[in-house]
Amino acid sequence: MAPFDLQASIGSTGSYLLYLAIGFGFGFILESAGFGDARRLAAQFYFRELRVLKVMFTAIIVAMTLIFWSTALGLLDYNEVWVNPTYLWPGIVGGLIMGAGFIIGGYCPGTSLVSMVTLKLDGTFFFLGLVTGILAFGETVGYFNEFWHSSAMGRFTLPEFLHLETGLVVFLVVCMALAMFIGFEWIRDAVYGKEK
Amino acid sequence: MNRYRNMRVAGALILLLASAALALYGQPSLEQKWSFMAESVGSGLAERQVYIDPGELLALMNNDYIDLIIYDVRAETDWNWFHLLDSERVDLDKLAAQRDRLLALPENAVVVVVSNDEIAATEAWKRLMALARPNAYILEGGLNHWLNIYGVAGEESGDHGETSLATPDGTLRHPFKLALGERHAATRPDERHAPQRDYTPKVKLLKKITRAGGCG
Repeated sequence: MAPFDLQASIGSTGSYLLYLAIGFGFGFILESAGFGDARRLAAQFYFRELRVLKVMFTAIIVAMTLIFWSTALGLLDYNEVWVNPTYLWPGIVGGLIMGAGFIIGGYCPGTSLVSMVTLKLDGTFFFLGLVTGILAFGETVGYFNEFWHSSAMGRFTLPEFLHLETGLVVFLVVCMALAMFIGFEWIRDAVYGKEK
Repeated sequence: MNRYRNMRVAGALILLLASAALALYGQPSLEQKWSFMAESVGSGLAERQVYIDPGELLALMNNDYIDLIIYDVRAETDWNWFHLLDSERVDLDKLAAQRDRLLALPENAVVVVVSNDEIAATEAWKRLMALARPNAYILEGGLNHWLNIYGVAGEESGDHGETSLATPDGTLRHPFKLALGERHAATRPDERHAPQRDYTPKVKLLKKITRAGGCG
């Protein structure tokens, strides 16, 4: 039953090589999807381009469906899958800061890396800004440590929030994603004209 | 363009059907989860690697570096007669409520499940494994065995003596004069004065791999 202990089965070197391959694959898919171009990414916020929404949400709903089908069939122990613990208010503030950085700079951290390795100047500068921000955060987090660790909710996921069966939540999220794809296409066509 | 559009529609339909089927199929119950993992996790049970000697539990109770959780899965009546100091009574069918707590346990946490013998504790251990795979153990011989070793004669009706551990039936075999719960001397004997036991330590602290994730 997954997840497997990679260190035990293929050793440290094998594990790191596998992580490298997965990272490379992730970056390759991002670049192939056009996520190395800040103009395309920023256009999402004006509803001119929907590929960020579509690629990301498709990845989310495919992964979600596969994870919970694997759990249902006894192939995966979901409890052993890392889920980021929820710190509600710090998460909201962090999300807003990241969103603002995304729309101003045109990248999120991952896509700025993709852009940088394809030698784009804006991506390189965004990445330098990102590193500066990480350093500044690391040096100042002590001043707002109390807020940083506030509203801790532990491993808090949608089924607990909605008090619904996990499978039903998966179905609802898939419906929501598909409805969003259709709805945003409709908005884009209404505002910018039909896609040719 | 039409072909591309057809592929998108087909993909969306597949996802929709797969998720609808998942909603109908549901997630496995604790019993089903245990059956999935019995082969890999159950060996510790079969080889009795998870059954710890009362002497080891006493050492754990006196070890300040261990975050010890003792789950007592007996009926409330037995709990009222006698229970270990700092143990928590949890009904077997309410163990699922412990999931979040178990998932958040630190590396130095050890869970020990106790019942009158090993029957209910073993069932609880299986459920705990299915819930969150904590670093959990079972008290060997249960509280009947514990009281055989650390029990105080004056606290029990009649003469205190070693009760037979053969043919376990889930009952508390030490008849107490008073239902004093954790105010009996045997709830946490003084380690220095309690009978010393030779045992093979089985408890191992988990060395958790630092796990993190997320996407930026």
